[in-house]
Amino acid sequence: MRKVIKNILSILTVSAMLSAAPCVSAAEAYDVYSYDRWGEAVPSQAGYTAERSVSGAALGTEDFSGLSDIFRTDSGIFYIVDSGNNRIVVANEKLDKVIRIYDSFEYNGTSLSLESPQSIFVSENGKLYIADTENSRILVSDENGKVELLIEKPESELYSAVTFWPRRIIADDAGYIYAVVDNITSGSVMFDSSGKFSGFYGANRVQQTSEVIKNYFWKLFANETMRKYMTSSVPAAITSFDIDKDGFVYTCNSSLTQELDSIKKVDASGYNLFADINAEFGDKPTADYSEFPQNSYVDIDVNSEGLISCLDYTNGRVFQYDEDCNLLFIFGGKGNQLGTFRQVSAIESSVDNVYVADSQKNTITVFSETSFGKLVHEATRLYNDGYYEEALTPWFEVLKRDGNYRRAYIGIASAYINRGEYEEAMKYAELADSQWRYDRAFEGYREEFISENLSYIVWAVIIFSAAVIFLRRFKKKHKEASGGHEDSASQISSGKKGDDEK
Amino acid sequence: MMDLSEKQWVKHVVFHPFEGFEDMRWKKSGSLKISFFIVFLFFAGNIVSDRLYAFHFWNSYDKLFNIVPYIVKSILLFAVWVIGNWAVCTLFSGEGTLRRICIFSAYSLIPYVASLYLTTILSHFLITDEGVFISCIHYAGVLWSFLLMFNAIKTVHQYSFLKTAAAMLLTVAAMLIMMFLLVLVMSLFQKVGLFIYSIYAELQYRFRA
Repeated sequence: MRKVIKNILSILTVSAMLSAAPCVSAAEAYDVYSYDRWGEAVPSQAGYTAERSVSGAALGTEDFSGLSDIFRTDSGIFYIVDSGNNRIVVANEKLDKVIRIYDSFEYNGTSLSLESPQSIFVSENGKLYIADTENSRILVSDENGKVELLIEKPESELYSAVTFWPRRIIADDAGYIYAVVDNITSGSVMFDSSGKFSGFYGANRVQQTSEVIKNYFWKLFANETMRKYMTSSVPAAITSFDIDKDGFVYTCNSSLTQELDSIKKVDASGYNLFADINAEFGDKPTADYSEFPQNSYVDIDVNSEGLISCLDYTNGRVFQYDEDCNLLFIFGGKGNQLGTFRQVSAIESSVDNVYVADSQKNTITVFSETSFGKLVHEATRLYNDGYYEEALTPWFEVLKRDGNYRRAYIGIASAYINRGEYEEAMKYAELADSQWRYDRAFEGYREEFISENLSYIVWAVIIFSAAVIFLRRFKKKHKEASGGHEDSASQISSGKKGDDEK
Repeated sequence: MMDLSEKQWVKHVVFHPFEGFEDMRWKKSGSLKISFFIVFLFFAGNIVSDRLYAFHFWNSYDKLFNIVPYIVKSILLFAVWVIGNWAVCTLFSGEGTLRRICIFSAYSLIPYVASLYLTTILSHFLITDEGVFISCIHYAGVLWSFLLMFNAIKTVHQYSFLKTAAAMLLTVAAMLIMMFLLVLVMSLFQKVGLFIYSIYAELQYRFRA
């Protein structure tokens, strides 16, 4: 009998444990989660699902080796940097056929080959910008592989590094070329359209840690030789960047120790536009789904709708944010299954898809939007264009599918504030953990309340003060009648002198 | 002269920070019951201001309610203050008894406790831009309570100004030591508990086998 009871109990506990486990989406090979208003990880709906992974063989060519970068043009053509095979593979929109392979370039009649290239950028007029890393040079070529410009290590006093190993490369509409170069912490190296070195751009700030302050303090007393052996505080070097359609540059860094400027949006003067909005990126230290909730971003991408996708190397995850740095989706992870990675290296995104390159698996994984993702993106698009009210319907639909989805509450609160329904707005602003929205809604609500009930408030004040005056008089009379012996408190307020006189 | 009921003494002491305590000491007044009630209000006020504050001023962690931190922040803190002060001032020829110190300290908490409730209520009527009123009330409460506390200690032990300041600083040090010892004792008990449990588990395995 006891055994039977024991068995039943164990079955019950096991089933209870199973039902308590977060099994939100069975299709994904990784945990799908989001952050709630207290910054704690909660299970969520998947916005993207891993559709397939593309290897070199699947494209009909040699397998990739050390896949280091991918670039997607606006027309949807892919440029894949196959650094181990020293070549660049161009694939079609669907990623199922090779269009062309560049393995050598022509320069002034001679043939140039690549040596472990790391990055590529293709401008709108079809120019290829290639970081030919181990040859220490940058190539700018036309579509036919004819090199127009060859940039080598800048001969300038400002450029202090011994080596010139470009890692990532982009170019803006004016033809300026920006390169992330190894061992350079003062930002990306900038060249003008004729290939002349013209300075650095987009440096990170140094985070004020206790270490930095301590060093600064000791340096006040140190002499020259001592200073030479002391560590100097340098900002984290940027590891990758992307440029959006308006010419803003987004950078990321992979520092595990410096939180400051981990993701930033840089304007023309080099100022971080995200510095003022208190944005938080990546996994928080409380993340229940990460063994090492530390972020080191290897790549960043901004798509044509302004969605920012950051690629985290430590946990192999993609974090997607909207223009205002509100978290949309987290997907990916470490592992060997489809949708997980061993060593992520690059990310690209279109409106519907996200492409992640893995330099150890040597595949490109295609993530496609789920219906939930589509709904969120549609609402975000409407919201960012200023159609708050039109975005209400999709936001409510989002909440029906995932009541923990914080971004939806923000959208709804904003829409209600816009519409002047302040009481509802307050409710949703609180759920969204948006204190300034709550404040604004409350201000409107208070104003409305006062103007609606002004007559009642005035009457209440009049009646109250009348009652107070009447009561006081009544008390006084009562006291006089009984000879003033009872209220000793008034004796105190009249001071001790009165007491002494008695 | 000064024949006040206990309730009237509370009012007198709070509104006469410099002489009130002397008067009360002279009259040997002050009720332990009222002082316990004030400490309870202090405890409740802590919870109220943490939980019921308007959202645009303070985002409370509603997921979980744990009463222990509130007890530590109010009742335990007060108890440690009273005992610490008594321990220190007995050594420095203070005249206060434990009962008196408790009563006087509790009475001087009143403005701060009142500010806890007042700011919580006000936060539901003001917007962030007007938050300066709330902080004004908060600081007024803290300052007033501090002034009262200083005079309470000064009176209860019949100290000079400087000696009171020194005694208060030493009391804070004594509080830290007591807290440290408390933590130590608690971890020790935990260890002992674990030890007994492991013996129990060991015995159980023996008997089962």
